[in-house]
Amino acid sequence: MRLNSLAFRLFITSAIWTLLVLPIAGFIIYELYKTDVQATFDGRLEKLVNAVAVDAMSGTDGVPIIPPNRYEPLFEEIHSGWYWQIQPLKDGEAGRRLVSQSLATGKLPSPQLEGVAESDTGSRWLNIDGPVGVRIRLVEVIDTVGHKKDELPYSIVVAGPVDWLESQLATFRTRLATALTLAGLGLVGVTLFQVRFGLLPLRKIERGLSDIRTGEATNLEGEFPVEIEPLQHELNALIRSNQDVVDRARTQVGNLAHALKTPLAVITNEARDSKGTLAAKVAEQATIMADQVNHYLDRARMAARSGVIGSSSDVANIVSPLVRALERIHQERGIQIAVTCPKTIKFQGEKQDLEEMLGNLLDNACKWANTRVYLTVRREDAPTASKSRSSGRLYIQVEDDGPGLTREQRNKIGKRGMRLDESKPGSGLGLSIVTDLVQTYHGRFTLAQSERGGLQVNLELPAV
Amino acid sequence: MRILVIEDDKDLNRQLVTALGDGGYAVDRAYDGEEGFFLGETEPYDVVILDLGLPKMDGISILEQWRRAERTMPVIILTARDRWSDKVAGMDAGADDYIAKPFHMEELLARVRAQVRRAAGHAKSEIECGNVRLDTKSARVTCDGQQVKLTSHEYRLLAYMMHHQGRVVSRTELVEHLYEQDFDRDSNTIEVFIGRLRKKLPPELIETVRGLGYRMHDGSDAA
Repeated sequence: MRLNSLAFRLFITSAIWTLLVLPIAGFIIYELYKTDVQATFDGRLEKLVNAVAVDAMSGTDGVPIIPPNRYEPLFEEIHSGWYWQIQPLKDGEAGRRLVSQSLATGKLPSPQLEGVAESDTGSRWLNIDGPVGVRIRLVEVIDTVGHKKDELPYSIVVAGPVDWLESQLATFRTRLATALTLAGLGLVGVTLFQVRFGLLPLRKIERGLSDIRTGEATNLEGEFPVEIEPLQHELNALIRSNQDVVDRARTQVGNLAHALKTPLAVITNEARDSKGTLAAKVAEQATIMADQVNHYLDRARMAARSGVIGSSSDVANIVSPLVRALERIHQERGIQIAVTCPKTIKFQGEKQDLEEMLGNLLDNACKWANTRVYLTVRREDAPTASKSRSSGRLYIQVEDDGPGLTREQRNKIGKRGMRLDESKPGSGLGLSIVTDLVQTYHGRFTLAQSERGGLQVNLELPAV
Repeated sequence: MRILVIEDDKDLNRQLVTALGDGGYAVDRAYDGEEGFFLGETEPYDVVILDLGLPKMDGISILEQWRRAERTMPVIILTARDRWSDKVAGMDAGADDYIAKPFHMEELLARVRAQVRRAAGHAKSEIECGNVRLDTKSARVTCDGQQVKLTSHEYRLLAYMMHHQGRVVSRTELVEHLYEQDFDRDSNTIEVFIGRLRKKLPPELIETVRGLGYRMHDGSDAA
């Protein structure tokens, strides 16, 4: 997941929210539970102290009796943390002091004597360190034997270990933390899934656009969610209008070509028929104009196309009519064109461009060949296999059995307007158009000596 | 040899007609598609030069309709649209050659000669019959190496006969292929030209086949 992505934005906001909310919720739950546990603990102590008080103070001879232990077995286990103690409130008074077995020789203080204020229920509370250093909580009620007034007041104290409370809370804390962590992880996981699932249509758009770019599709197809549907419509409309613009530009360029070339032909012919320096100048300049018109029209055609969403074209479907036409054009010399081109090969680009490149190369080959021209087309997967499907390369080889070229001539020929032999008809721009087109498609154009005697032209172009 | 030029640009049309006329051809002209189509359908032409962007009827349709009607004369397309897709479309419609504007008149003439030769089954630009030699490129005629001066009508007649040597050519055929459409066609003039040719060239070169026409002997049985 990249930092600058919708998925990351959605994920991080959701994750931050989760991380913020879960601890706060945990804190609140813990506090509520703590209060509750505390209240339960205090309630128990209060119940015990009341029970002890009632039992002990039911004596009839003016002294407290030992209460039967029917409350808490831990009162009998020594230093269990659970204690009770009954003693006269005022020291030195002759009165009976009773303690639970668990307290043994220990002594608990009286909160009233320590100056602790009375609570709503008439009891006093105090936390102290117990006889064996264990932290305990005391509760005290004051009563007299037989509940008579003017009798000697006794302090009845019951104590329980705060540790118990703490251990309860600790257990709860662990469980709560575990539960909340799991919930957090779960939420993050769900968010991740939600983001991936929710953004799935965007992936589909990406794939669709890539298909359009490589020419596999002409518009964005498929069912999209209602939020994206307008985008799909707009995108398709944009692609269509783009295509329209290209088509219009191409038509205009064609019209311009027609409009300029006929007058140029007239001027050229007229000037050639006349004598004098003016006529010669006009003829010369008209020829230059014609070359320039051709050159810039081809440029314009290419410019109209560059950056336009691509298309793909069947090589075999382009080759066969071209070969038919060329064999007819060069029929008089009986040139045969031998074609090796698998049916499945597709050129990644405009049909007209491949037609232009092949047409010029084959036409040149036909002009120079003795009897035969060879066209070989093959496709290879590029060694740098990227994710894109457009990594294939198209290799086109045009050979003839004509006189061929020397190394020097081969080096010269690619240059603009360069023509080696003026005797063969043609504007001389054929090859430069090919090299321009090859450049547009980031391809390669090389010349070599053919085994068949003549020139060998190699083209490397993108394939689908 | 009779040629039809269909081109809507008046100047270019005139230039083509002049150049072809100077080259020894009888030339008819048309300025729009309908007229051109009609002429090509009804008159026997040896070559048609056809522009594609024409008013009333475009060149490709004209060509397709001719071919459907089995008009097989050679057609050279002359157009500003020089992309290979256009050329392929033109050739597929039944054209025999394709010249892109602007063009050199010499090249057009060479292509026309090539089509005429191809239609008559000759491979070279020089045609021989006995000791008479016709150079279609320079429109020169020699007999035993000596140049023979001919008028344009005489040249046309001789060129047609030499292209079709060995076969009987009727007077009507000669009239149809040697004169422009608006020429006063009197087949007696053919006899006059034949007579003149017989004076300038060996008399036995052109044989009269009574009731049928004339024949020129090809290399095989020329005595």
